[in-house]
Amino acid sequence: MTAMPFIKHDAARDWFLPAMVLLLFVLAVASLASGEVGMTPARLWAGLTGADEVASTIIWQLRLPRVITALLVGSALSTGGLVMQAYFRNSLASPDLLGVSSGSAAGAVVAISAGWTAIGLWVLPITAVVGAAVATFGVLALAKRGASSERLLLAGVALNALLGAVTSYVLSTGVVLYERNAQLLFWLLGGLEDRTWLHVWAALPVVAAVVLVWPLGRQMDLLSLGEREAQSLGVEVRGLRRRMLVLATVLAATATAVAGIVGFVGLVVPHAFRLAVGPEHRRLVPLCVVGGATFVLACDLAGRMAGGLRLGIVTALVGGPFFLWLLRRRA
Amino acid sequence: MITDATKPVSAVSLRNASVPGRLHDVSLELGPGRLIGLLGPNGSGKSTLLQVAAGLLATSGEVRWSGRDVEEIAAPERARQVAWVPQEARFEFGFPVRGVVQQGRYAHGDDEVGVDAALARLDLEALARRPVNALSGGERQRVLLARALVTAAPVQLWDEPLAPLDPRHGLEVLMLAKELTKAGGTVVISLHDLRMAHCLDEVLVLAGGELKAAGRPDDVLTAELLRDVFGVKARMGETLILELP
Repeated sequence: MTAMPFIKHDAARDWFLPAMVLLLFVLAVASLASGEVGMTPARLWAGLTGADEVASTIIWQLRLPRVITALLVGSALSTGGLVMQAYFRNSLASPDLLGVSSGSAAGAVVAISAGWTAIGLWVLPITAVVGAAVATFGVLALAKRGASSERLLLAGVALNALLGAVTSYVLSTGVVLYERNAQLLFWLLGGLEDRTWLHVWAALPVVAAVVLVWPLGRQMDLLSLGEREAQSLGVEVRGLRRRMLVLATVLAATATAVAGIVGFVGLVVPHAFRLAVGPEHRRLVPLCVVGGATFVLACDLAGRMAGGLRLGIVTALVGGPFFLWLLRRRA
Repeated sequence: MITDATKPVSAVSLRNASVPGRLHDVSLELGPGRLIGLLGPNGSGKSTLLQVAAGLLATSGEVRWSGRDVEEIAAPERARQVAWVPQEARFEFGFPVRGVVQQGRYAHGDDEVGVDAALARLDLEALARRPVNALSGGERQRVLLARALVTAAPVQLWDEPLAPLDPRHGLEVLMLAKELTKAGGTVVISLHDLRMAHCLDEVLVLAGGELKAAGRPDDVLTAELLRDVFGVKARMGETLILELP
């Protein structure tokens, strides 16, 4: 007889969140200090305070926006993934696997190739959200809530293919404008190169969305065990569902609008924490907010140290095998 | 702690309740203080009827809880008045058993009142810290029943609670239902095992989404009805009788 797993006592895992915050801080400092111009802690400090002009420019204009964008993208993708998993009652649901990221990338690519981005920076996040919303409704139409993993993943495969085709079509017809295509490729590969303060501002909706997700933890617990059950236990399910869907879409779309398609974060991070501290969302939301930021920052730093590997490639290198392991484990 | 000034619901009534393709024009009264069995072949509308009565499924007719239209009652108050146990639950996430049972207190300010007693009552103490998605079907069913029990709702609607249970736990659940009704509650259970019918105060027989008969088990479950509704020939005879020791 195989022993049934016992759930570890809650308090035993209370150190997770502070540890994650500490790790995040260390990685942020390391990210600011490393690059073509390496910096000692003293020079880093001088740069931050403005005492060293060259260091100050490097940190404030180049590295800090990149680090903050990384944090926001990481929080957005992992929190968005967590909300989607509770919504679909399936731990394999995540923005990239369901095609929501592809949807926002398609939205962004259409906006760039049509030249709409000349109107203003705000156009890009909006078209990304619209694209993501289209994909979300597509998933809902193809796989009902609580659908089997097979159905959900197949819906994602279909949408990824369809929206990928839209993006490829736009790419293949706009060859003339080389610069524009370079920008388009960026969205498909996912990365944090050349992120500026403008991107940080564009990613700020993430903060609002995370603040709104925070208090939903308990209700997500109930919903994740069945919609009708949650309703019978006193949850206003219809309103909750609508809020979760909007928040997950905004989170995934905003992340994609500033960093392109960064895969597997929304799958790996919530899953890893669920294995570590259990499925309670009041614990998982803060951990995913901090842990997602930590994970993306770590992947970006690793990619930079490996000679400039794009963020999307690093997360895929980590997340792909993890996903395969998960599938094997479920089978 | 949420204080509830409203009177506890004692009876649930349906008038001309219909759900397209599943339930046709059903009118009935459930409770109070009665253990009611819902009988009928597969697909006869038992689960649909229970969900309609629980206010979880839209119907073209009328559903009233102690005279109040269920549509006008807010979700948390509904949860304190009527509990529903689904026929089966798919648990994707490994919440601990105790945590799942405690969810029954959500509408009571998420306290822990009665959780330990319910775990003990459904023989779940040893499983309290196990992840619910690692349990067997019968164990999961007992978790759902314990969760319904801690809601302290006076009306309990249980969809085939006995089907996955072993004989002993099945009898214990029946005893529990009896106790709840003796204390003034209403318990409705759908079931297939007609031999359990003698334990019930009242039976409702559904077929093809319509209410075919209602009343005391001895009056309703005639050989003719069993033949018409279930397509079986009923015969009385010596049989194995199980009781709690």
